[in-house]
Amino acid sequence: MSTAAATAATEALTQPATRANADSSAPVRIAVKDLNFYYGQFHGLKNVNLNFHDRQVTALIGPSGCGKSTLLRTFNRIYSLYPEQRAEGQILLDGTNILDPRVDLNDLRARVGMVFQKPTPFPMSIYDNVAFGIRLYEKLPRAELDARVESSLRKAALWDEVKDKLKQSGMGLSGGQQQRLCIARTVAQRPEVILFDEPTSALDPISTGRIEELIEQLRNEFTIAIVTHNMQQAARISQFTAFMYLGELVEFGPTNRIFMNPEKRQTQDYITGRFG
Amino acid sequence: MADHIVTSYDTDLENLRRSISEMGGIAEKMVTEATDALVRRDSALAQSVILADKRLDAIQHDIEERSVLLIARRQPLAIDLRETISAIRVSGDLERIGDLAKNVAKRVVAISDQPVGQKIILGVQHMSDLAEAQLKDVLDAYASRDVKAAHDVWERDGEIDALYNSLFRELLTYMMEDPRNISFCTHLLFCAKNVERIGDHTTNIAETIQYLVTGETPAGDRPKNDASNYATVTPGAA
Repeated sequence: MSTAAATAATEALTQPATRANADSSAPVRIAVKDLNFYYGQFHGLKNVNLNFHDRQVTALIGPSGCGKSTLLRTFNRIYSLYPEQRAEGQILLDGTNILDPRVDLNDLRARVGMVFQKPTPFPMSIYDNVAFGIRLYEKLPRAELDARVESSLRKAALWDEVKDKLKQSGMGLSGGQQQRLCIARTVAQRPEVILFDEPTSALDPISTGRIEELIEQLRNEFTIAIVTHNMQQAARISQFTAFMYLGELVEFGPTNRIFMNPEKRQTQDYITGRFG
Repeated sequence: MADHIVTSYDTDLENLRRSISEMGGIAEKMVTEATDALVRRDSALAQSVILADKRLDAIQHDIEERSVLLIARRQPLAIDLRETISAIRVSGDLERIGDLAKNVAKRVVAISDQPVGQKIILGVQHMSDLAEAQLKDVLDAYASRDVKAAHDVWERDGEIDALYNSLFRELLTYMMEDPRNISFCTHLLFCAKNVERIGDHTTNIAETIQYLVTGETPAGDRPKNDASNYATVTPGAA
């Protein structure tokens, strides 16, 4: 090994790890208990039991159609937009079952924000895109609203790029910027949980890096669940990983273990690219 | 295990395995022949051992490059990642084993014109026989991914250390008996130390096998029976 490489290696060992290790002792924010989900006759999720820990990133992986997005979509009951879809079992958010019909959906969706695969900016100004979510739930004086918009754009690592053009349309931003704008809009509502459904699959590597860096930052404040088809991304940014297959949770555990030494054969076959 | 969806990935890993097995064969042969050259005082054989090391170095270099490329291109995970890392580690150990055998061979050439006590050479040979057997077993265990066999090798390393220890004392005694023995005894001492180090690298490989198969490295200290660090012999006491 060269001296430079040896020095770099020594530094890497003495610096704190770039991604925090899984903290199983972190409080459980979302507890999924015996969850079953149906698309009409189709049984999409089968007896799923899973905990999401506070301020940890949990990655959901699995082949297309395995139920990972379905699971994500139960956390804010976005599925209930469709009459044929129903969930059974319990999803406890801070101890309250959010599947209970008495739960206020608007309130729930403010607490559990969601970012989608394709950026979904509204056809309005950058400022209004972020303020939109806040105005739905809160009536803030102008100065406070400005401050909230700015802090949200900062948290989404977008402020420096848009601060001089807040009145311009959000549609004019690049794909990566649009995605960060959507994250800012989500963050502005001060949610407890943020769900990401393949947030970088439509982005180039640089924008992807920015989003990943952002998720690492957001983890300090929010509980995060992310669906991704990119194994390396799951390995890079999450503390916990859940592998799903055919609507079942096959394996759940600390990300380091899942990607170095998974317990289940199916998990290993999937993450190593052996699935037939 | 099921094949990868991308077949060239399987080919890459299979080629790494093959290269390791080729290195293992060369290293084994070098260790055996270096000892034979020592016992038979055969400088020509020693020279061929020295030459063989070049090939070993070249394959090791190649394995390292291909492993790095595989990591860059395929981003291996789980068993594939452990397999790739293990290939780098094992090829490193085998390359070192080759260096140590080469060093023994060089010493054979150096002491070729000196009178050497055959009995003490047999002591080195005995040690080397054990190290060769260990190396063979560990290479078999690597090829068959046999953790149990690897662990047996790991546990037996203490025997080589114990032999080295007694040989060390014996050589010191020879040197004290007659200063004319010092030159060849020192060379033999290095030969014995080289064989002991070969045993250590073999133990490294055994540990890598456990990591490769289970994802864990052996817990606890290695069995060590080398007390030569503390051994002294007082003149006149022997």
